Amino acid sequence: MTGGTGVPDGHDHEEPSFIRKYIFSTDHKMIARQFLFQSLFFLVIGGLLAAMMRWQLGFPGQPMPGGGIFPDAMVAPTPEGAIMLPEFYNSLVTMHGTIMIFFAIMPLLVGLFGNLLIPLQIGAEDMAFPRLNMVSFWLAVPAGILMLAGFAVEGGAAGAGWTSYAPLSTSGEWTGVYLGQQLWLASLTILGFSSLAGAVNYITTIINMRAPGMTWFRIPLPTWSLFITAILILLAIPILAGALIMLLFDQTIGTGFFRPDVGGEPILWQHLFWFFGHPEVYILILPGMGIVSEVISNRSRKPIFGYHAMVLAMISIAFLGWIVWGHHMFQSGMNPLLGTSFMISTMAIAVPSAIKTFNWLGTLWRGNIHYDTPLLHAVAFVSMFIIGGLSGIFMANTPVDMYLHDTYFIVAHIHYVLFGGSLFAIFAGITFWFPKMFGRMMNETLGKVHFALTFVFYNMVFFPMHNLGLGGMMRRLYDPTEYEFLQTLQPMNKFVSISAFLLVGTQVLFAFNFFWSLFRGRKATANPWNSNTLEWTVPSPPPHGNFAEMPVVYRGPYEYSSPETDDDYYPQNVPPREHPPVAPAPAPFTPSPEPGGAE
Amino acid sequence: MSTSEHKQPPYMTVWAVLFVLTIGEVFFAFSSVPKRWIVIGLVLMAIWKAVLVAMYYMHLRFEPKRMWILAMSPLPLAVILVVVVIQEWR
Amino acid sequence: MMTTQAATIDRVREEGSGVYTLKLGMWIFLLSEVMFFTGLIGSYIILRFAHPTDFADPGQVLNVQLTAFNTFVLICSSVTMVKAFAAIEQGDQVGLKRWLLATIILGAFFVGVQVVEYIALTSEGFVPMAEAYAALGREHGTTVIGGPLYGATFYMMTGFHGTHVTIGVLCLMFTYWRARQGKYTATSHGGVEIMGLYWHFVDLVWILLFTIVYLI
Repeated sequence: MTGGTGVPDGHDHEEPSFIRKYIFSTDHKMIARQFLFQSLFFLVIGGLLAAMMRWQLGFPGQPMPGGGIFPDAMVAPTPEGAIMLPEFYNSLVTMHGTIMIFFAIMPLLVGLFGNLLIPLQIGAEDMAFPRLNMVSFWLAVPAGILMLAGFAVEGGAAGAGWTSYAPLSTSGEWTGVYLGQQLWLASLTILGFSSLAGAVNYITTIINMRAPGMTWFRIPLPTWSLFITAILILLAIPILAGALIMLLFDQTIGTGFFRPDVGGEPILWQHLFWFFGHPEVYILILPGMGIVSEVISNRSRKPIFGYHAMVLAMISIAFLGWIVWGHHMFQSGMNPLLGTSFMISTMAIAVPSAIKTFNWLGTLWRGNIHYDTPLLHAVAFVSMFIIGGLSGIFMANTPVDMYLHDTYFIVAHIHYVLFGGSLFAIFAGITFWFPKMFGRMMNETLGKVHFALTFVFYNMVFFPMHNLGLGGMMRRLYDPTEYEFLQTLQPMNKFVSISAFLLVGTQVLFAFNFFWSLFRGRKATANPWNSNTLEWTVPSPPPHGNFAEMPVVYRGPYEYSSPETDDDYYPQNVPPREHPPVAPAPAPFTPSPEPGGAE
Repeated sequence: MSTSEHKQPPYMTVWAVLFVLTIGEVFFAFSSVPKRWIVIGLVLMAIWKAVLVAMYYMHLRFEPKRMWILAMSPLPLAVILVVVVIQEWR
Repeated sequence: MMTTQAATIDRVREEGSGVYTLKLGMWIFLLSEVMFFTGLIGSYIILRFAHPTDFADPGQVLNVQLTAFNTFVLICSSVTMVKAFAAIEQGDQVGLKRWLLATIILGAFFVGVQVVEYIALTSEGFVPMAEAYAALGREHGTTVIGGPLYGATFYMMTGFHGTHVTIGVLCLMFTYWRARQGKYTATSHGGVEIMGLYWHFVDLVWILLFTIVYLI
């Protein structure tokens, strides 16, 4: 089958109504696109919140441009303009973190790529439970609305940080935020249900719905990573849900789980939160690793270096992720025995991470590298992940962390792995699978310009934050100039802020490229990247039901530049040429009625 | 359904054992044995009952081995969470 | 790239879990439930370990006899549920409906007893709210027993279990409605089986809760 936006052949589905097709769709590809648009909306919101924070940090006490549009509860009006209030700054810190993690990065990686790739890459016609999949998206929407509603209620949005540490978060007495904090808790609980519905679906689909021949070690790495991620979600989110509900009860009806004034234990909140929170960190990076593996292997036209090692490294990262959560709490006064064990287990994670990094480099090494946008983003992921990973080792050391804890060094680290890691992987993934999602190519030139500017400005924003942190600047700080020892760092803060505005501004290029390509982009063929995996064997975008017939898989996903074929790629569903088998695979060495079948 | 090939599991026998264990638990809880042994005994009996329900009523006994692994997978995490956090107060 | 010449060959998916997809999905959902109750029960164990004086000995505040009886009811409902499944396995429609109805009644009865228990306990000052907590001893009637964490954790755990039972009863009603329409047969009764899996899981959680909350 050749490219183009093909018609569903052999699948005579009746055309669903507009609402069934675009709103309450059960088609995994449509749900993926719904998650894409919702998450991009939240990505914009989160970016704007960050820009506002950077204004306050770079130019503290100066009127915020456009600040006049905010109500008096958020800004203090002066003759020169509106100045941000500290309470509003707290809300910005909290909401930027929450929105970016739960409503932008996580749904982009899991909601978008999970839904889009899993059924297509394993050769299934849809998810195991399509209606549950729809419910998953339509729970995420009210969760997002509740989260944003915090800004509109009295007292403003939640202001206790994205970690919502008790006892700060247990009562509005401390933050001045009552209803906003409760909305935050309710929103995340609902979002938890959404993620759980998705995770159940992904795991079931991958276990039970693989096409013939798609053995465990022929599954493409993005799907592997999403499988492991889904397990983490499945087992971590319920812990968060339980903790959130307990905190909600502390707030609303006055229970005392986390309130020390009535005998509760605030440190229990920290433990429960980070028992969820650390797997969450890997939920946010593992799919990125999968996407990057796919892109790097494809764009350097080489098999991924050490496929099995890649899978096993992801599994061990996921397992180790359960026993390191205490490294977020070295300063909580925890049992020193625990601190040391957490330090050691945390450092152990460097091993599988390094395996993956070297495997990516090994894949690129002497490859026939195609420097297009997805590859550039993927390589940026690898290099930024190295920086973020290395700064992580600093903080894993308990004695070093005593100094670095709650400084901008932490902020730099988290953004090197979340922005430099996850978000670059997301850019790589969107540009790579855009043709499959929408049937059109994205503009390469715009894409490269966007990449170059983003990469430069991104490093200008976040690298100096290491220095700010080492200089002693605390995170979640409203006005650094209030401290004498931070005043000398103010020029650096200004530099970071200006770079941040440029970084946010650069994203307009991506938005423009995205929407322009959506309507005006070059029509994509079925397999524009000459890729091996099954999603590229169907038209772009794939029809309802995906595959005209159930595909048969003969080999692993990364057989690029294979000597067994004349092309430099060897799709998973093409029968071996010399010895065409009789399906079902893997039963080679039997004659077939006609040779080939690869066209 | 693979279970139909088996002889029907001993549902009523399991029920009887569960009943007896529940009664036994209540009496044991109020016996004059030292508290430590009461706790250990009660936990063991509760686990026994839970395993019976999982094995026979949830048919885990008649499922493939890989389902056992699946069903057991969260238990280590549960143990890790409780055992580690409790160290804070030792 | 479609291998059209192979279209006639019967293609079988890779063997996954060895059970059908609906059942696998329910099992995976139950794993997340295990972690949810781990969070709740684990918090209780940890808090009780950290603050032993905030909690009371068995029978001091909570009514063990009533709850032991209620435990018995829930175990019986598990038996009726499994009987319903055994009935439809043989294609016995009447048996399916009868045993499902019995399960619904027993499950609703369990929730009812729990509501009665809650009302009695709150009237004795055993409430989840920290400031209002003032539990009276069952025997002496006037002494305040335990602390705010006792009330909070008790209602947290039993309340969420009760919610699960209530949801289970609603789902059972749906299953019963489908059974009355004859939707389940001897060869196709996945709905009854996964309903049973959920129901037995809720029973299993109660077995642990009863021991941990009421008896220890």
